[in-house]
Amino acid sequence: MNVQKITDTPLNFAEEIINDIKSSKEDGILKCVQCGMCTSTCPAAKQSDYNPRDIIERVLQGDEDLIEDDVIWNCFYCYTCHSICPVGNSVCEVNQILKQFAIAKGVADDKIYDYLGFADSYYNSAIGAIPSKFYPEIKEDVEGWWEFRQNLGKIREELGLDALTPPKDVIDEVSLILTNCGFKERIDKVRNNDEL
Amino acid sequence: MAVIGGGIAGMNAALSLAKQGTKVTLIEQSPSIGGHMAKIGKVFSPVKIAEECGMCLLNPILNEVVWNDNIEVMTNTQVIEAERRAGTYNLILEQSPRYVNPDKCIACGKCAEVCEVEVPNDWNDNLSNRKAIYRPFGQSYPEAYTIDMENCDKCANCVKVCPMHAIKLKGKSEKLPLSVGSLILATGHQLFDPNKRPEYGYERYDDVITQSELGRITGVNGPTKGKLVKKNGKVPKRVVMIQCVGSRDEKPDGHKYCSKVCCMVALKNANIIKHKYPDTDIVICYTDVRTPGMYEKYYKHSQASGVRFIRGRPGEVVRKGENYIVRVEDTLKKEFSEIEADMVVLSTAMEPSEGTKKIADILNVGVTEDNFIKESHPKIKPVTTDLQGTFVCGTAQDPKDITESIMQATAAASKVAEYNYAGVEIEPFIAEIDDEKCELCGNCIKRCKFKSMSINENRVEIDPMSCTGCGKCLTACRQAAITVNGNIDEKIMATINGVLDKKGENERMILVFLDNIGYTAADNIGVNRLSYPESIHIIKVHSVNRVRPRHIRYALENGADGVFIGEFPGDLMYEEVERKIERVKKRILESNQNPERLAFSKVYIPYFSGLAKKLTDFDEKIKELNELEA
Repeated sequence: MNVQKITDTPLNFAEEIINDIKSSKEDGILKCVQCGMCTSTCPAAKQSDYNPRDIIERVLQGDEDLIEDDVIWNCFYCYTCHSICPVGNSVCEVNQILKQFAIAKGVADDKIYDYLGFADSYYNSAIGAIPSKFYPEIKEDVEGWWEFRQNLGKIREELGLDALTPPKDVIDEVSLILTNCGFKERIDKVRNNDEL
Repeated sequence: MAVIGGGIAGMNAALSLAKQGTKVTLIEQSPSIGGHMAKIGKVFSPVKIAEECGMCLLNPILNEVVWNDNIEVMTNTQVIEAERRAGTYNLILEQSPRYVNPDKCIACGKCAEVCEVEVPNDWNDNLSNRKAIYRPFGQSYPEAYTIDMENCDKCANCVKVCPMHAIKLKGKSEKLPLSVGSLILATGHQLFDPNKRPEYGYERYDDVITQSELGRITGVNGPTKGKLVKKNGKVPKRVVMIQCVGSRDEKPDGHKYCSKVCCMVALKNANIIKHKYPDTDIVICYTDVRTPGMYEKYYKHSQASGVRFIRGRPGEVVRKGENYIVRVEDTLKKEFSEIEADMVVLSTAMEPSEGTKKIADILNVGVTEDNFIKESHPKIKPVTTDLQGTFVCGTAQDPKDITESIMQATAAASKVAEYNYAGVEIEPFIAEIDDEKCELCGNCIKRCKFKSMSINENRVEIDPMSCTGCGKCLTACRQAAITVNGNIDEKIMATINGVLDKKGENERMILVFLDNIGYTAADNIGVNRLSYPESIHIIKVHSVNRVRPRHIRYALENGADGVFIGEFPGDLMYEEVERKIERVKKRILESNQNPERLAFSKVYIPYFSGLAKKLTDFDEKIKELNELEA
């Protein structure tokens, strides 16, 4: 049985998400009528227990266990729910915020450990490049990709494009921003987690 | 009076007034009166657990309209211009030619038999064809054929075969003036274009149709004579209905509101199918079933008939072999479902018709954020609009069913009757002549743009209906024999002082002078939940022309950071006011002040969002000027 005490404030959780800096939608969450349109087109819902409508339902119930629930990691940001929601809500954005809550709480280091390479490429090259540890798999999955990757510098030159990585002063500036905003510290903390 | 729109609302409004002795002109843009109801097939009613023949209910009303001597029906006719003067609406109508003389035509149909041009029949939602010479539907009025000249190839077969010599292939649009005391707008709705939601595949898939098309298919006077069949001629095994297509939808082109009738329409069509084809499975995918009041009984009846319901809003329809898959989450079971169907019916939203948007523009009447005709107070002033003497009814005002449309139509008619029998309320702030001082020079008569003044029995008379109290005559009178009631000059000055007195330290204050039209537009900003800056202080004046240069200069010299004056371009004093503002700007420049602190702008009732933007922009500009000068 769900008992609601007079002192319970279930909407605080939703407000916290709405007021997060990542949130671009003003009050979509609160306007959700649980129509399920998001779930009906969600590729993750088709393949797993993940259910975008249910994510919003739990947010509105103030169910903070959601932060530690593995289910939020099944969303891979295809943004279909974002573009189809009739009340202008964005479940994938809510997931991104929930994941940040999880990271901040220190319960998601194992989820993001494999992706530290992305963070490194932001920090070291000021671009979001595919980490080299994924190369073998992509090489196997995507025909012609490896050749393309190896000749990327030449291809860009032929097309009259600048080098893939920006100049050093740009990289230094981005690194400085990432250091000062706490991003660097955050990735180091994950990398130095002894349990992983 | 005139009723614009000959659907079920317009016809009932016209009839009600005609029976009370009022002469009514019923203006309809299509070749026949009847509106959407004529093509619905069967209709639902409150309380009744049965579907009734729409045409059987409509036809007696249509006949009554036709036979009532007080009603003149004008089909193929549109209002193209309108102005209101002295309580009278002067309309210009454009009547496009029919090419078939309705007085001679006996609707024998020989012409259509020999016509070789076939085009999709829009009355059947393009599910069947008709000829270029055609009668819109069996009971249409006028009881005559008409030619769709866009598609006619002018072979003249029809002309030769017509036994009544009623057909002429030449014809021109005619412009006709019409003066009426009041107007009822019954310009109706149109249905949301399902192609705006391509995920449902309306254009891609043959058997994804709308409720309106289903209505035609199940209608005995429809393209299949009432037989429910798919494109391939077979009876569907499972029909899935998708609710809220374009309604309750904040995506681009969608409508935030609930279209109100679609739940009942879906239930009605589901029941019609269930009664005739009990083996056809029907699933209605809904978000909420909205069947308030007595309609709830009909909902229960549908459940008892075996109609199935899934609570979930489908995200897409895809093809699978010969059938379709509707993807939906059954939100009550928390289950992702793929429902196989061989017919999918979309319950599309009701939205204001093109005619509704057009007439709002032509008349300068207020609209809602959804472009329906706005009532002057949505709670306590139903059917009245922002325009005196103009009333609204039916789906031009918001989505509603036939019953409600008729109720609103009779309410609108009653409001017109109030006008007819109790007269018109007018503002008392009009000009008055001191006969002792007046020398009958006639200068005021020449200056008055509203033609409100005339000499009668050796004195100047003022028509209280047309005088707007603009004050133009004051400047014309050598004898100072004219006053405008209401001490308007002093009142404006006192209001300026009253507002400026409240100005706090470092507070930005902009005075905005608007007359009734501008004030209504500003009011609509709030009604539609838009906003304008806090610095804006609106002062309502009886006539914008009464804001005199000294008022403007006084305001700017005594603390106002800016003055904004809005005037409706349809006001006869518009150009005069515009010229006056230019003069005042020059004077301001001469006294080494910044004329940009004075703004003049056009205002229109329907374009409240434009006014909100102009006020915001002006506030920005004044803010910059203040910073520059600081």
